[in-house]
Amino acid sequence: MTATPILEIDGVEKHFGGLAALGGVHATVDSGKLTAVIGPNGAGKTTLFNVITGILNPSAGSIRFMGKDITNSSVHEISRLGLARTLQIKSVFHGMTVRENLWIAAQSRQGIFRPFTSMKACRVANERADALLEELQLTHLASQEAVNLSYGDVALLEIGIALATEPKLLLLDEPICGMGPAETERTVEKIRELSKRIDIVIIEHDIEVVFDISDDIIVMALGTVLARGTPAEISENADVRAAYLGDDDA
Amino acid sequence: MELVIALGMNGIVWGLIIALIALGLSIIFGLLDIINIAHGDFFMVGTVMAWFVFDATGNYWLAFAIVPIVGFALGALIEYTVIQPIKNAAALSIVATFGLSIILQEGVRATFGATPARLTAPIEGTVLLFGLEYEIYRLFAALLSIAAICCFFLFLHRTKLGTWMRAVRFDPETATAMGIPARRVYMVTFAIGFAMAALGGVVAGPITTVDFQAGVDILPFCFMAVIIGGLGNMEGTVAAAVMLAFFEGVMASFTDPTLARIGSLCLMSVVLLVRPHGIFSGATR
Amino acid sequence: MTAATINRLGLALVALLTVAAPWLLPLVVDEFWVDIYSEMLIWSLLAASVNLLFGYVGLLSFGQALFFGMGMYGVAIGVAKLGLGFWPAFGLGVLLATVMALIAGALAVRLTWHYFAIITVVFSLIFYFAALSWKPLTGGDDGLSFSMPPIVSLGDWELSLTDPTVQYYFIIAMVGICYVLLGVILKSPLGWAFRTVRENATRASLIGLNVYLIRLTAFVIAGFIAGTAGALFAFFGRYASASYMFYHVSGEAVVWAIIGGAGTLLGPVIGTSLLIVLREELSHIWEHYQILVGVIVILVVIFAPKGLGGLWHALVNRIARPETPDPVAGDKREDQP
Repeated sequence: MTATPILEIDGVEKHFGGLAALGGVHATVDSGKLTAVIGPNGAGKTTLFNVITGILNPSAGSIRFMGKDITNSSVHEISRLGLARTLQIKSVFHGMTVRENLWIAAQSRQGIFRPFTSMKACRVANERADALLEELQLTHLASQEAVNLSYGDVALLEIGIALATEPKLLLLDEPICGMGPAETERTVEKIRELSKRIDIVIIEHDIEVVFDISDDIIVMALGTVLARGTPAEISENADVRAAYLGDDDA
Repeated sequence: MELVIALGMNGIVWGLIIALIALGLSIIFGLLDIINIAHGDFFMVGTVMAWFVFDATGNYWLAFAIVPIVGFALGALIEYTVIQPIKNAAALSIVATFGLSIILQEGVRATFGATPARLTAPIEGTVLLFGLEYEIYRLFAALLSIAAICCFFLFLHRTKLGTWMRAVRFDPETATAMGIPARRVYMVTFAIGFAMAALGGVVAGPITTVDFQAGVDILPFCFMAVIIGGLGNMEGTVAAAVMLAFFEGVMASFTDPTLARIGSLCLMSVVLLVRPHGIFSGATR
Repeated sequence: MTAATINRLGLALVALLTVAAPWLLPLVVDEFWVDIYSEMLIWSLLAASVNLLFGYVGLLSFGQALFFGMGMYGVAIGVAKLGLGFWPAFGLGVLLATVMALIAGALAVRLTWHYFAIITVVFSLIFYFAALSWKPLTGGDDGLSFSMPPIVSLGDWELSLTDPTVQYYFIIAMVGICYVLLGVILKSPLGWAFRTVRENATRASLIGLNVYLIRLTAFVIAGFIAGTAGALFAFFGRYASASYMFYHVSGEAVVWAIIGGAGTLLGPVIGTSLLIVLREELSHIWEHYQILVGVIVILVVIFAPKGLGGLWHALVNRIARPETPDPVAGDKREDQP
C-alpha cells in the first residue's frame, strides 16, 4: 500500500517565553495507519497536538492537513476540515445528557445557525447521535447528564463526540490513562476497530498497548522527533533504547 | 491656572485615598477571585462609622483607630457568613456581593439616615503651597494614605501572613499542601480589604460627604484603578489610581467632570481589550 | 404525568391568568396591580436578557441596562425629537439597542468571565454618563418625556396605549412574542450551541463551533430583548431617563434572573415578579425592606444557586412519573419552561 501523508508537520517550533517546548518538529502521519506518539513527560507531545489543532499557534514552521495549510487556522476551522481530538483531561459537556453531547457534535456539521429549527427536526444529527449511542453501547445512559458518568464512560463519550463530527483524522491524547484493566481493554478494542476506518494518532504512555496497536511510532524527546518507524524498528533503535526504553529493557 | 493646580492637587490627594481603597479591592480579587460589588459600600460604611465615632466622642482622631478595627471585624464576619459558603461557585460572587451592597446601603439609610452630612476636619487651616492656600487636612490625608499604603506593602512582603497571602494567590493547592491555612488566609484577606476601604472612608470623611450612596460613585473609580493598573498588580493599582484622579481633576478644570469620567472609562475599556493585565504589565495577552 | 406535561400545564395556566388579569386582578386586589403586572412583565424581559447570556452562554453581563436605555431613548427621542409615529419609534428603539449590542458585543465577547462582566459595566457607564451630559438630546437628569402617539389611527378611530386595556394587551403581546422567540431559539441547534459554550468552550470549538460568533449572536439577541423591554417601558412611562442605564438597574436584572433561576426560560419572570411584589407590598410596611431583598439574594445564592426555577424543576421531577425512555426526548429537562 502506498502511504500518502494526511498530516505533514514541517519544522514546527513553539516557544513559551524563552523556553522551547517544540524545537523544530518534522513528521508526517500516513493515511491508513494508526500512528502513536510516545516520549517521556515534557517531550512536547501534547503541545504538538495543541499546535496541530489550533489551540496554540506555532512560533515557526507549518502544518498541512490533507494537503491544506492549517498553520494559522482557528480551532473550529480545523475541526471542520475533519480533524477531531480528545483531550488528556477528558473534556465533554458536563451539564448536558450523553445524547445531547453526541447530538450537538453531529449537528455541528449540519450548521448551528438555525434559530427556528427545533432539535427534534434535525433528522441527520438525530440519526447520527442514535447510531453512535448504539455503536458505543451508551444507549442505556442516553438521558444521563455527562457529569454523572463513570470515568471510562466519559472517555468513551469524548471519543463519541469526536466521531460525531465525522473526522478524517482523530487525535487521541492518552485515551486510557487512569483506566482500570477492563475499561482499558474495552477502549483499546474500540480504538483498534476505529483505526480500520479512520486515521488515528494516539499519544500513549502504556508502551505495551502502543506496540500492540500501532503501525507507526513517532518517538519524541525534548521537543523534537527522536525516531520514527514501525514498532519493530523502534524497538531495535539504539537511540530510543538509550533515551527512553532503556530502563525497561536493560 | 490656580484652579488647575488646586484641582490637580485635589486629584492627587483623592487618588491616594482611592489607591488605599482599591488595594483592598485588588487583594480580594487577586486572592479570592471575587469581584466585590460591595467594596464601594465598605468605604461608605467607613465614613459613616467615622461620623458615629465623632458624634459619640467629639474626637475625630479616635475614628482613625476604631473604624479600621471594626471594619476588619465586619469583613471577617462577612467572609465567614457570605463569601465562604459560595467559595466554590465564584460565578455567583458578583451577585452575592451585590446583595451585600444592597444590605449595607439600606442598613446605613435605616440607621444613619438618608440626609448627607458633612464632617469637619480635625485639622483646620491652610498652608501656602505653589502660591495657593491649601487645606492642611488634605495634605495630612495624602500623607496618611501614603503611610497606610506603605504599611500594606511592608505587611505583604515582610510578614509571614503577607507571604502566605502571596503564596495562596500564586497557587492555592500547593500552598495548602505546604500547611498554609488557606481558609484563614482568605478570611484575613477579606477582612483587610474591608479595613482598608473603611480606613479610606475615615481619611476621606472630612473632604467628602457622609452619604449612604457614596459607595456607588467610588466603586467604578476603584475598579478603573484596579483594571488599568492590572488586576492583582498592587503597585500598578496605586499608580493608576493617582494618575486617574490627577487626570480627572485636571480635566475637570477645563471641561465638564462627566466628560472627564467618560474619558477615563474609555481608557479603561481600551486597557481591558488590549492589555487585560494592565498598562504596567510587561507583555500583551 | 411526566415533568414535561406538568410544566406545560403550569405554563398554560400562567398564560391564561395573564390574559384574564385585567378582569381577575381587580376582583382580588387594587386595580393598580394590573399596571404593576405589566411592569413586571417588561422588567422580566430585561432579566431574560441577562439569563440568556448567563444561564445559557455562561457570560455574566452587568451592563444590560445599556440596551434597555437605548430602547427607551430610541422611543423617546423618536417621538419627542423626530416626531415619529408609534411603530417607527418602537422600531428605532429596538434597532438602536440591537446595533449597540452588535458593536459592544463585538468587543466585549472577546473577553470572558470577570473581564466580560467588568467591560459590560464600563460600556453601560460610558453611555450613562454620556446621556447625563448630552442634555439637548436626552434631557440629562430630568429625562425626556413625550406624549403618546396612537398605535393605529383610521380616520376618527384610534387605537392608543392611553387606553389602559389596550396598553396591557399590547405589552403582554410584545412580551409574549419575545418569550416565544426565546423559547424557539433555545430549542434550536443555536440554543444548544449556546449551552455548549457555557459548558465547555474549548470542547465547543473542538467540535467545530465558532465560539466567538456564538457568543456574539447571543449578545445581540440579548440586546434585542433588553431593547424591546426598554422601548416598552418608555411607552409604559411615557418617558426616558438616564437613570435607567445606571449599573444598579443592570444589577437588579442580574438579581432577578439568578433568584428566578438562570438557565430556565421563565425563571426571570418568577424572580422579577417575586421581587417587584415584595417591593410593592413591603415598601408600605417597612421603609427599609431593601435589606430583606439583599438577604434573600444572598440566601438564594448560598442555598439555591439554581434559583426558584431550579427548585420548581426539582419539585416537579420529584412528583412526576419518570419519563418513558424516548430516543428523541433529549430536551425534557430544566431548559423547559
